[in-house]
Amino acid sequence: MVIKKGKFTIDGLENVQININKVTSSDEEKEEPQGPTPAPEIHKLRDWDMRLLKRYQPVYSPICDMCCYCTYGKCDLTGNKEGACGINMEAQQAREAMLRTLTGAAAHAGHGRHLLNHLIKRFGADYPIDVGPSNIKAPLTQTIMGIEPETIGDFVPVLDYVEEQITQLLATTHIGQEGSAIDFESKALHAGMVDHLGMEVSDIIQISCLDMPKSQADAPLADIGMGLIDSSKPVLVCIGHNVAAVTYIMDYMEEHDLFDKIELVGICCTAHDMTRVNPKAKIVGSLSKQLKYIRSGIPDLIIVDEQCIRADMMQETSKLHIPVIATNDKVMYGLPDRSNDDIDDIISDLASGDQPGVVMFDYEKVGELAPKLVMKMAPIRKEEGITALPSDDEFKKLASSCTQCGACVISCPQGLEIDIAMEAAAGGDLTLFEELHDKCIGCGRCEFECPKDIPILNVIEKAAQKVIREEKGKVRTGRGQVGDPEIREEGVNLVLGTTPGIVAIIGCPNYPDGSRDVYEIAEEMLQRSYIVVTSGCSAMDIGMFKDDEGKTLYERYGGGFLKGNLLNTGSCVSNAHITATTIKVAAIFARRDISGNFEEIADYVMNRIGAVGLAWGGFTQKALSIGTGCNRLGIPVVLGPHGPKYRRAYLGKPYDKDKWNLLDARDGSVHNVEPAPEHLLISAENKAELMPLLAKLCFRPGDNNLGRMIKLTHYIELSEKYLGVLPDDWHIYVRSEADLPLAKREELLKILEEEHGWKIDWDKKKILEGPARKVDVSFQPTNVPRLCKGAVE
Amino acid sequence: MAAKELDTTKNAVPFDRANIPGPKMAKAVKAEVAGKFISKAKRPLLIVGTAAGDDGVIEIVRSMAGKGIPVAATGSSLKRLKEEGIDATYVNLHALVSYLKDPDWNGFDGKGGYDTTIFLGHTYYYASQLMSTLKNFTKIKIISIDRHYHPNAQQSFGNLKPEDFIKALDVVVAQL
Repeated sequence: MVIKKGKFTIDGLENVQININKVTSSDEEKEEPQGPTPAPEIHKLRDWDMRLLKRYQPVYSPICDMCCYCTYGKCDLTGNKEGACGINMEAQQAREAMLRTLTGAAAHAGHGRHLLNHLIKRFGADYPIDVGPSNIKAPLTQTIMGIEPETIGDFVPVLDYVEEQITQLLATTHIGQEGSAIDFESKALHAGMVDHLGMEVSDIIQISCLDMPKSQADAPLADIGMGLIDSSKPVLVCIGHNVAAVTYIMDYMEEHDLFDKIELVGICCTAHDMTRVNPKAKIVGSLSKQLKYIRSGIPDLIIVDEQCIRADMMQETSKLHIPVIATNDKVMYGLPDRSNDDIDDIISDLASGDQPGVVMFDYEKVGELAPKLVMKMAPIRKEEGITALPSDDEFKKLASSCTQCGACVISCPQGLEIDIAMEAAAGGDLTLFEELHDKCIGCGRCEFECPKDIPILNVIEKAAQKVIREEKGKVRTGRGQVGDPEIREEGVNLVLGTTPGIVAIIGCPNYPDGSRDVYEIAEEMLQRSYIVVTSGCSAMDIGMFKDDEGKTLYERYGGGFLKGNLLNTGSCVSNAHITATTIKVAAIFARRDISGNFEEIADYVMNRIGAVGLAWGGFTQKALSIGTGCNRLGIPVVLGPHGPKYRRAYLGKPYDKDKWNLLDARDGSVHNVEPAPEHLLISAENKAELMPLLAKLCFRPGDNNLGRMIKLTHYIELSEKYLGVLPDDWHIYVRSEADLPLAKREELLKILEEEHGWKIDWDKKKILEGPARKVDVSFQPTNVPRLCKGAVE
Repeated sequence: MAAKELDTTKNAVPFDRANIPGPKMAKAVKAEVAGKFISKAKRPLLIVGTAAGDDGVIEIVRSMAGKGIPVAATGSSLKRLKEEGIDATYVNLHALVSYLKDPDWNGFDGKGGYDTTIFLGHTYYYASQLMSTLKNFTKIKIISIDRHYHPNAQQSFGNLKPEDFIKALDVVVAQL
């Protein structure tokens, strides 16, 4: 008899029900030892946080100098004054940043809980986890919780833990509690860590149950771009992050052979997950396309789920007679719940316009309702000819009515010179608007400020129709985790530095200079043999551009975990696999025990694995929580120039030598090392500044000579290419002549001698004196005293 | 008709309309006042962003550097500055504000921190946020001579037309 979790009754015994909560294995031998911090409470990893924060000190950039949390306020905290409750500006900013991190964590965890409840109901709690060819199936879960889940039901206590931590952390934001900025930072790091845990749960359960690609390097390619969508067919658009309801639509469409009759498309992360379930679905684009695409009038029906959906959806869609079906209770827009109503009645009410939308929690019904409704709506809407875009004549009138007052420019988050483009368009020149179209994030804020009531976004989109028609790209569908065999193959290159690093391009599309930046950043790093990992909106935008031969980066580069490969892990929640990969390297390559052993693993990652995150267009709270979770695991993150609006960064001070002491785990001896990684969370003004910074943040104290030489080569080359100079700190990363780039060795030795006073043996081309430390191939760098040999626990 | 007098105090509203930090916002100043303010600094630092390489602005950077004001080149400004033969030190702006708030930082020349920071040529929202670090956590004077009103500075121009901006910068340099 196979005993499963669940409840059952015994025949013949009335009123007796046996509940089995957990079935434990008798094969205890296979389990690795439990580390010191399984399911850590807020304070359990505080010592690790303090180690990080001592070196990478929080730097606050208030976006608001006041606190308005309670009725004592508003309190003016300018100049680090205290408010009425006693909190000062520093602690208030730390609290604000923590709260944002927590909001992001809650969004992912809420998504995970919804999916878990849904999938357990649909497939059963005993449904096995299947993430591909890996023994370490849930690296973050194992490292943080100390358990190795086998079924989706095993994740129930994991989310219980996540939710408890979120509640406890949220409680600390109440007046009269925490007053220490540094402790708020520790709490923020905790929130970031639990965020990654919640994301891992969310993605593993959907990969397992919905048959998404499982560590598949050659996952299929999906179409992306407004130019690829056939608007002559009914167009059904799904927006958000939670694919649960949409899977029923796809099942219905397959069963009824509707994929060639309906364009099923998505925006934002739901689109990623749709293509992971069925690559016949198409991607319109990232979050910045949302309002633009609605205004185009092309959608005949919109399905929304949760997160990153416009709050003004109903105002926009009702004007264009686009019905909306809301499928998640986080977003209901004041619409009536029609879950228990007859499908034909609902179709009738929506098609007639009597109701602008409905809430529908019965996903079986959504599956049937959506395709039927969109086919009904398409001819109605085509007959009505509804679009928000102006005609050619209207366009000319609108552009000519602009007085170039500049109100739109002042209201634009990017400060785009809309007024100048408008003037050019009035004269018949559309090129400025065509350029501006990619830089416009599609927020619509400009329209609220225009004294002439010009529908500016519509004007931009009308002007850019030629460009939009050419938006035709490819995205490799989200592959999920990096598999254990890939780690075995690549781990050594990564730790020794012969693969120069992992660059993880993640997050949202609030780019400072358009979406092309992320494509160019990825291309440059791929050409330099970095492993480029991506997810979410960035993964989409990378696929929107092509080379001269018409190929996207996904078509030009492999999707495996190898140097010079481009991996799309999937949607936002797939970011967990990026941090999880570093844990796998520690477990598989370095044979570290990971169960309940977060601190040791984070210490290993920070000192050994040259990985850096990039949220170039990050603007949501989720982007901050993802970044903060990376930080707790010892992975540095770079933000775009909007990043300081998150209020806090973690910056190192290379000139403060005492901050760069490390221990050698072999004997506990103290070593002063180069600042690597130099920062934990920092921003850059533009792409040119970013490129060498990415290379620099891949240095690690554990690099061997060959690895350091390769990393230094890229750092120097990128600095010379983009900033026009040899970086002024390159020499501090040199420990011996073997660290120097081969092609420049003599030139650099000369600089070391002449400008830095180092002693060189020119006959042997050897450095005799100068470096802060020598290379020791056996050096075992650690920040944690208890990990040193002979340490007393 | 007499030439219209340049008034850099007009239109002193945040360039990003909602960027109202709080009760303490920059005083909009005339270009002469800005120039005199800078000339009185004992340890000034000119912090330039990528747009400092724009034609018209680069000449001002050269002039100010020529007056002995050290130049911190942030963003990707260094490339153009080097091409123009202007001595400057590259530094990330985010890192720089963290160094500036550190009383133990010895500056680029090893002689200590700076008492006055002068901002020019920056991405507006980026500089605004990082000025707020200096405003709230240091005693360093912050003056913006950029084209747009910066509420987190102590002194700033209002929002200027491009041609007035260059004229204003010429006036500033004339006071040094």
